[in-house]
Amino acid sequence: MAATFILLSIGIPWLGALLVWWVGDQHPKLQHTLAVVFSVLAGAAALALIPNAATAAAVTFPVGGLFGDFTFIPDGLGVFLAAVATVVGSLAVIFSVNYMHGEHQLGRYYAMVLFFIGAMVGLVLTSNLLLVFVFWEITALCSYALISFHNDDPKAVKGGIKALIITQIGGVGLLAGALLVYSYFGTYDLNYFIANAGSLPAGVLAAAAFGFLIAAAAKSAQFPFQTWLPDAMEAPTPISALIHAATMVNAGVYLLARFYPAFKDVPGWTTAVVIVGMLSALLAALMACVATDLKRVLAYSTVSQLGYMVYAIGAGGVFASQFHLFSHSVFKALLFLAAGAVIHAVGTRDMRQMGALGKQMPFVRAVFVIGALALAGLPILNGFWSKELVLEAGLHGGPIWAFVVMVFVAGLTAFYTFRCVYLVFYGEARSHLHGHDAQTAMKVSLGLLALGTLTTWLLVGPFGKLLHDTLPAHEIHALPLGEVALEIFTAPATYIALAVIAVGLLCWWMRDRLAGLASALTGLSRAAADSFGFEAVNRGIVSATQNSAEALRVTQTGLLNWNVLGILAGLVIVIAILAFGA
Amino acid sequence: MNLSPSMLAVIAILGLLGVGFYALLASRNLIKVIVGLQILVKGSMLAFVLAGRLVGNVTLGQSLALTVIVVDTIVAVIGLAISVQIRRHFGTLDVKALTTLRR
Amino acid sequence: MNPTTAFPWMIALPLVAAPIIYLIGRLSVRSRAQSAAPARWMAIVVLLVTAVLAFFAAQPILQGKTLTLTFYAISLRLDGVALLLGATVTFLGLMVAIFSLRYMHGDEGEEKYYALLVAMVGSIIGLGCAADLFNLWVWFEVMAISSFMLVAFYRDQPASLEAGLKYLVQSAAGSVLILLGIALVFASTGMLDLAAIRSVVNGPAPILIAAGALFIIGFGVKAAFVPLHTWLPDAHSQAPSGISAMLSGIVIEAGLVAMLRALGALAAVSSLWGVLLLIFGAFNMLVGNLMALRQEQVKRLLAYSSVSHLGYMLVGLGASITFPLMVGTNGAEGAFFHLFNHATMKGLAFLSVGALLYALHIARGDHGPLVLSDLDGASRRYPAVAFSLAVAVLALGGLPPLSGFMSKWMIFVAGFQSQNGWMIALVIFMALNSVLSLGYYAPLVNRMFRHTPAPIVENGARVSVSMRVPLALLTLLTVVLGFWPTLLSWLTAPAAAALMAWFGVQ
Repeated sequence: MAATFILLSIGIPWLGALLVWWVGDQHPKLQHTLAVVFSVLAGAAALALIPNAATAAAVTFPVGGLFGDFTFIPDGLGVFLAAVATVVGSLAVIFSVNYMHGEHQLGRYYAMVLFFIGAMVGLVLTSNLLLVFVFWEITALCSYALISFHNDDPKAVKGGIKALIITQIGGVGLLAGALLVYSYFGTYDLNYFIANAGSLPAGVLAAAAFGFLIAAAAKSAQFPFQTWLPDAMEAPTPISALIHAATMVNAGVYLLARFYPAFKDVPGWTTAVVIVGMLSALLAALMACVATDLKRVLAYSTVSQLGYMVYAIGAGGVFASQFHLFSHSVFKALLFLAAGAVIHAVGTRDMRQMGALGKQMPFVRAVFVIGALALAGLPILNGFWSKELVLEAGLHGGPIWAFVVMVFVAGLTAFYTFRCVYLVFYGEARSHLHGHDAQTAMKVSLGLLALGTLTTWLLVGPFGKLLHDTLPAHEIHALPLGEVALEIFTAPATYIALAVIAVGLLCWWMRDRLAGLASALTGLSRAAADSFGFEAVNRGIVSATQNSAEALRVTQTGLLNWNVLGILAGLVIVIAILAFGA
Repeated sequence: MNLSPSMLAVIAILGLLGVGFYALLASRNLIKVIVGLQILVKGSMLAFVLAGRLVGNVTLGQSLALTVIVVDTIVAVIGLAISVQIRRHFGTLDVKALTTLRR
Repeated sequence: MNPTTAFPWMIALPLVAAPIIYLIGRLSVRSRAQSAAPARWMAIVVLLVTAVLAFFAAQPILQGKTLTLTFYAISLRLDGVALLLGATVTFLGLMVAIFSLRYMHGDEGEEKYYALLVAMVGSIIGLGCAADLFNLWVWFEVMAISSFMLVAFYRDQPASLEAGLKYLVQSAAGSVLILLGIALVFASTGMLDLAAIRSVVNGPAPILIAAGALFIIGFGVKAAFVPLHTWLPDAHSQAPSGISAMLSGIVIEAGLVAMLRALGALAAVSSLWGVLLLIFGAFNMLVGNLMALRQEQVKRLLAYSSVSHLGYMLVGLGASITFPLMVGTNGAEGAFFHLFNHATMKGLAFLSVGALLYALHIARGDHGPLVLSDLDGASRRYPAVAFSLAVAVLALGGLPPLSGFMSKWMIFVAGFQSQNGWMIALVIFMALNSVLSLGYYAPLVNRMFRHTPAPIVENGARVSVSMRVPLALLTLLTVVLGFWPTLLSWLTAPAAAALMAWFGVQ
């Protein structure tokens, strides 16, 4: 059974991608319908996988050679992420029916979305390291194609290529790690690797561990690779919700969680993971406090929340990180789609031009506020539960300085979330923008996600059991809901965090009276607006490469005599190497 | 000093190579460049004849040299034919004029 | 058919047919019909028959044997590498011939084009089979001569004349170095047969080291080793597009195979041959990619990318030759797989660009180059061509699930299997180069999928069915090999084994 559902949940979206592309852009209605049908079917197939979760490979294609067996395992981590990818994917597709109405080149849009959904499912279900890399790159390819969907806009093209190049550079780390494993074990099977990691030479294991960390940081837009995600906001908003909030950016967290048992004993690795997560959470939260573009605020907050998940893994809280991933996928998809409804209605992303939109779009306001409360970590929404679990894991398993920073970031999160909600929906109208409330298909997606945000925390018990039963190497302690609640409500971390969140809220409330403090922090906010110099570093690398390429072109003089000189020079060099090298 | 025929041949080969490569490196005129190529090939033909003599297989060395002549003549003819067209289209045989394709 | 009958015919047929194609085509052009149609169709039939003959001749090779044919002093040996090269060139030649039906239609000297194309295919098949040094050189020169004439095919285009002449002079200079190398080997061993030379050479000798260096540089000119590559961007961008596909897809690789054959005989002379290949590989990757980064002309960009792809192959070959114990045949197999993939991917890229060049420029009597901005919005009017070009360049950039990724992966694996720090560093350098190459491939794809087409695209001519057929076939192959990479291991594994046998590793 599991084998069928695995093949269906990868195959259905890919078949759908082909069909939508095949139908052609002359039939937009049919394209919308096909995309919705295939994505919903994929969601159903992936959900059907959950009761079939197991620890053994369910599908094996013996490819042989240096490629190994292409295997897929429906274990807890995999089926859960596959379900998230397909369900959020189908909601994003449903949302797109309204959002992308009347757009050109719909075939390319839906084909890429469906191709992405299938690849994301493949990425989390495969147990072959080569295929992990393959699907990893396919998701990057789709992300690039969709960010630059509006190819006529140079900003979109630039954002897409930036995302592609940065994740690819990080991907080299995954490549190196996977190849190191293969060159020592002769197999790509990742469970074999996790079980036998201790038998690798220490240096090799460490190289693989840090290679995977680099790859994860690049994919999940973590420090120091975080710069691509804000620029990826040029993508159509459903894409931002699906790829850049709910699924693809989680791949890095998934990778770290998946290989945590193999790498946890590598000296310095867990500390490095904690630092990466902490810095990402902190820097991105600061940037979110000063950003004025609605989608960028959400992008920064995604980086920040992904930082929480990475931090939790570094502190040993694999379960907490995955649960936060789950909550975050739901509430951040909700926030992005609601923001999309706003942007679709008013035609701008600049929050300075919004304000008082709540009256015109009550439904969107309602769901956005639900998402925002979850993001801020207020009880009893799903974000509260998972964030508290993360902080508790951090207090127990991580260094105390990191915990302090993360609690502080929780306050910042509350601050920027309320700033965002206020600027968009409340206060006074700052321009003559007129919004209209969400359309039907949009309402369906938003409503379901809002419902999820209110309720998914109830699943903490079965979720823990799923991971516990199918991932023996991870030693996950599953507790039923009641005990989790008891644990959270008796833990001091919860009250500290809630207090700080309250302070964050208060700061926004009393922002006028804190003007003095604000002006004292101008330097910081300017640095945050300049993304702390990381953009400058990126630009520097790009222009250095371009300049050296331009400089090298001088060597192609086109002069025949010079070309012949090249031949003779080559001969002299080769003879010199042979004469002195032997 | 008494030079053996083989030494003389080696010196001649090196001389021909030197002249040929000098022509390729320093000459601005296409015809001179092609003549330089011809001189280079003559050097390698001499090398074959010499090698045949050294290993005691003179006929093989000579037949190789003959084959080289045939092939090389074809190359030279094509080279000159292209040069004629170049003269017609560029109005010059100067190598420096032939730098429209670069960078 | 008996393999021993098929083998000589497989080599002889294209070479015998080439002049006949020319004569019949010429007669037909001068007759009342004034059409080169007989030449076109004869070329396609000849290539098809050659492919069938190759299929029959291949059977013993796939069972691990070799076929030897001795014809007076000439001896030819069909082994794994020869088969790979022959199969690749026949397939690509066929695709190019079909593509050219429309592309070259009505050009002056069309019959000459087909004759030379068939001759080039025949010479490369022969080159792969050459079993002695001098014979190798002769095949090499036949290939070179046919390619000079094809590069300078447009006799009234100054740029193509310039490119052809540079190609000729540099190749001829390289060829002299090869001759000197052969003379040195002949003088010190008295033999020309490669296997015989390998059996008597058993240690370092200065003369043979010099011969090896001459082989590397001499054949290296044709294989576009940096810094001997300077002819390549000119020749590959100015030739008719079908020929660009042949030159990039198989001719430079044939130069590489010829070099490996010659070097294999001298394997015992130095332990540095593999290292030299790795060094050249590093330079080829870096220089090729950096030079391509800022190109404006599409064909020139693709030409530079060939330089870097040759570098990738060199890394695989060098890994197997330098670390035979740890890597085994894996590096060579990856490199040969990449050779085949590069032939299909780069062939596809050049043919797609050729289709656009034809539709946007040539069909309107304009011989200007296709520049990047001509591609703006090409997918609006030419969805199939834009798609195939996108697949081709993304495969060249090494994105899965396309064939280029899989062969690069094999080379990566081979490099890591050496468990040598320098080799691993080189492989990581290669991976970063692959990322760098996306810096010029990705914007090209973005351009094609713009919504607003460039004016030149809106007024473009139709792309004919005969152009679409090879594009569709090559696209399919690029995708299928990406999903099932071991599909061709029956071809690449014997090739890798044969290469290791050349270098005396069994």
